[in-house]
Amino acid sequence: MPNLDVIESIDEYCERLWKELHKVPAPEKDELVREMRAHILERVGAEPQVTPEIMAKILRAVGDPKELAEEYRTQAMLREATSDKASWVFRPWVLLRATLRWGLNSIAGLVAFLFTVAGYGCAVVFLSCALLKPVFPARIGLWAAPQHTLSLGYWNGRLVGTEIYGISVRPPNSFVVLGTLGATDGPVRELLGNWLIPVSVLCGALCFFATSILARWLIGRFTRKKKWNVSLPYPTPMTQNGPG
Amino acid sequence: MAILASLWTSKQYGLEIIRTLDGKSSLALAEGTLYLILGRLKNDGLVESEWVDAGTGHPRKYYWLTESGKKRLRAMVRFWREFSADLGAVLDPVTGREEKLNAQS
Repeated sequence: MPNLDVIESIDEYCERLWKELHKVPAPEKDELVREMRAHILERVGAEPQVTPEIMAKILRAVGDPKELAEEYRTQAMLREATSDKASWVFRPWVLLRATLRWGLNSIAGLVAFLFTVAGYGCAVVFLSCALLKPVFPARIGLWAAPQHTLSLGYWNGRLVGTEIYGISVRPPNSFVVLGTLGATDGPVRELLGNWLIPVSVLCGALCFFATSILARWLIGRFTRKKKWNVSLPYPTPMTQNGPG
Repeated sequence: MAILASLWTSKQYGLEIIRTLDGKSSLALAEGTLYLILGRLKNDGLVESEWVDAGTGHPRKYYWLTESGKKRLRAMVRFWREFSADLGAVLDPVTGREEKLNAQS
């Protein structure tokens, strides 16, 4: 039976882990902390005598509660992002959070996060244009601007120091979402008129759904479900030699 | 793969898995991380678990492979065997040259 000091150390560790696991649903949190406690007790039980040094060594081997919780939260977020529980309304938020957390740990995650931001950014610009076109008909549009720039968004109304805020493409390699490529001088021409509204609604919806589907696919493909597509030489399901 | 393989012959609890990995291979695993991996494997339906009162004063959580886990493990092992055989073919000249040098000295 572990002595009181040992129990106190275990309680302290579990409490720290519990606190670090904030935002994780309570049942999951309970289960993980219970499992860690059982593991530590198991390790303590295997020692003939538990000195404070040995206790510290055991806790070090189990891992820093903060790092474990961080890893667990990343895992939980990525799981949430690929589950069907999140509604379409909240999905952008869930996916952005999950890819951001993933992006803090890997290059693939960073690429996925930037892609998700760009995709939802485009959706926001398209849908905002559809909403604002009736309010600012002369300022919102799809613009052919100087230097072969094609822009969708809000024009500042100037021919000298022209700036358009929204999505802009300028050949050969300039592109911006939710911003401006900088001031240019020269005429601008609006291309769609009131057709901008249905076109923007359609493109916005397409961007929204395509980004959600692709971001989920990226998370599922690169973080959780590694494919092992090799032919199986063994019969399945196995009936012999296996566990249970 | 190593964690799944350690569950091939019997149900095991966390510390047992760590001891199996430690005893049979040089794989060192941060102990707390094991439970995160087991949790992910469980969410993917590859393992199942159950708390059991083991008479030690505290319960133990035992893990075992599901049918899907067994199937996945077989595929992983086959992949690994093929991969290591291919890599071995690339590395053989290197070890062959080292063995030759050792024999000469």
